[in-house]
Amino acid sequence: MVKVIRSTIIDAPVDEVWNVIRDFNGHDQWHPAIAISQIERSEKSDRIGCVRRFRLQDGSELREKLLTLSDMEQTFSYCLLDTPVPLFNYVAHVRLFPVTDDNSTFWEWESRFDTPKGREDELAEMVGENIYVAGFESIRAHMGMEAVQ
Amino acid sequence: MARVYISSVISASAEKVWERVRDFNALPRWHPAIADSRIEDALPADKVGCIRNFNLQNGDNIREQLLGLSDYDMFCTYGILESPMPLTDYVATLRLTPVTDGQRCFAEWSAEFSCSPEDEEDLVGGIGTNVFQGGFDALKRHFGE
Repeated sequence: MVKVIRSTIIDAPVDEVWNVIRDFNGHDQWHPAIAISQIERSEKSDRIGCVRRFRLQDGSELREKLLTLSDMEQTFSYCLLDTPVPLFNYVAHVRLFPVTDDNSTFWEWESRFDTPKGREDELAEMVGENIYVAGFESIRAHMGMEAVQ
Repeated sequence: MARVYISSVISASAEKVWERVRDFNALPRWHPAIADSRIEDALPADKVGCIRNFNLQNGDNIREQLLGLSDYDMFCTYGILESPMPLTDYVATLRLTPVTDGQRCFAEWSAEFSCSPEDEEDLVGGIGTNVFQGGFDALKRHFGE
């Protein structure tokens, strides 16, 4: 199993960040890799077990299932069902924590998955940088913040 | 149960900060409110179950027992055995988590305890401000903003 973890500090209160990212069907509003997002069978996007279908900017499609959503813990987790990239048994967790002494947010995004032998590093880097770190940066832009670094 | 939760970002890697705080007998070295500390019965300070017996700068004496310690997850859990504070069943956890996009870490310090309702506000405020935030502020000064 490959494990990928990325984390950052977002300079906004945790409730504001959660309001943006909690919508399992809203990631096309802020993530640059995603062109279109739809929930299958007209389910609500906060219904556990719902499936979102993404069309990526390159035209490929993937499907992900919502496994956990907690407004109290401000976390959600999901798994990949179908993907053009060879990521198997992929389960990801998104967690937000308040930084109480300056009212900002600690954001952790991690996953575990299997890949074909020899492609572990390449795919871990792709997931970590192109999905998670790119997601952090686009949330900053979406919420009107300047980029870090 | 009353609950206290304080968190902060410290400008050093989690490993570096952990090095400074993992020693259960080291409070006087990094926390400004603590005057001196010893481990009872000459036990090693990383032996789960050991008891630290320490005095605050104001002279109060507190005994706390180490309940859990993880170098892998970088947390330390302990309970109060004796203190002048009007509370019982006090269990606290100090936890560090790496922030992967820079030389900094996320630090959390939380506690749960029982007390009478009229004492709760003072206890939650005092522990959160003087003990937890006071400790984080000292770490921030040490490691630089």
